[in-house]
Amino acid sequence: MWLRPRGAIMSTITESRKGLLISPELCIGCRGCQTACKNWNQLPGQRTKNSGTMQNPPDLTPTAFNIIRYSEVPSDTNAMRWLFISRRCMHCGDAGCQKICPAPGAIYRTKEGAVAYDKDKCIGCKLCVAGCPFDVPRYDAQGKISKCHLCFDRIAEGLSPACAKTCPTGAIKFGDRDALIESAQKAGYAKVYGEADLTGLGTLYAFKDAPKIYGMNENPAIPESVIFWNTVLKPLAVIGLGGVVAGALLHYVTVGPHKDADEEVKK
Amino acid sequence: MVRKASVEEIINHWILAGSCILLIITGYGFLFKIEQIYALFGSNMTMKIVHNWAGVVFTVSLFATLFNYLHEALTYDADDWAWIKMGGGYLSKKHTVPPPMGKFNTGQKFYYLVILLAGIAISASGLSIWLVHDNRSLTLASHLMHNLAFVIFVIAVPAHAYLGTLANPGTLRIMIYGTVPLEFARKRYPKWMKKIGKI
Repeated sequence: MWLRPRGAIMSTITESRKGLLISPELCIGCRGCQTACKNWNQLPGQRTKNSGTMQNPPDLTPTAFNIIRYSEVPSDTNAMRWLFISRRCMHCGDAGCQKICPAPGAIYRTKEGAVAYDKDKCIGCKLCVAGCPFDVPRYDAQGKISKCHLCFDRIAEGLSPACAKTCPTGAIKFGDRDALIESAQKAGYAKVYGEADLTGLGTLYAFKDAPKIYGMNENPAIPESVIFWNTVLKPLAVIGLGGVVAGALLHYVTVGPHKDADEEVKK
Repeated sequence: MVRKASVEEIINHWILAGSCILLIITGYGFLFKIEQIYALFGSNMTMKIVHNWAGVVFTVSLFATLFNYLHEALTYDADDWAWIKMGGGYLSKKHTVPPPMGKFNTGQKFYYLVILLAGIAISASGLSIWLVHDNRSLTLASHLMHNLAFVIFVIAVPAHAYLGTLANPGTLRIMIYGTVPLEFARKRYPKWMKKIGKI
């Protein structure tokens, strides 16, 4: 039950589902997307350390909803190939964070298919961190979820997300998800990353090579430990309590309370 | 009358029990997203605050029990082995004479160790979930451990409540008045009574 995607809900979203198409080959690594995101979402800058890479901050943070990952990989023609990959929330169709969240309305899906959140309703349990296949959700200083929300406030008004709007090369494209997939296929990308994973990701990638080279998981999935406790331990918590209560009742009516041997003799 | 439990011990037992039950109820609320339980606390936001701070009370109270029970719970002899072999001898109709026990019987000592270990696991993982930010592997491990320990608690705690009340008349008063009749004590805890010179 828990693992099955919510078919009914998704099918109504599919028609209007928006997405982002990321093409690393077009990215020049200017990080305008990072700045535009901070601008629109009023996120403060943060002091980091130089770790010998242009990648800054090193990973997503509560105030960095998207980053450009700078990967150095060897290629056939060159000793080094520099890859720029935009990393952010994938807006999964089957969103582990949303499914596992115990606070009603804290993580929700907009009609455009964005996985958005309401900080006021977040209780800070960090279950979304556990349920996310991509290690995306971060927690701010107040203990509330922080992540990319596909600029749900902009796209609801027909605007592009800040990152896509600012991207000068078209490496981040925003639009109808189906149309984006089609355009990527027309451009010669046989397989679009995220087309079918987790009933389709909202953030799609046009990769030339295997996803692994770009630092992406070949088969993204909700972590096994989370699936284990949801499918095994959760029912066990009910069966266990019910079993002990039923067992105690049964014991009380059949065997009855403990009597010492001599009490029995007196009868 | 013989004093089996000190006043501090009794008070701490009920702090532990009260916080534990509160944690189990709120825990079920979170685990199964039970809106009625959320409503009981006002909202799930307040329930989360209650859950976290009840957890702190529970942790401190659990630590306090170490002084009462740990030494006894780690002391075993041949009689304990005999007790295990006959399964305590008080759950079936057939009357068997259990081997002489000290202040606590083998089952009680095991129960304490289970609660102590599961309690440490659930407290540590709970604090980690609450306080540690941006460490995914730790968060994953903590949620797994929290759930695992929860299952142990919801099985062990009601079993303990039944065995301490309905199943064994005369034992509940130990956790209320702290005392038991001398005859009762001689029958149940002969080795302890011998040690303190009441037999």
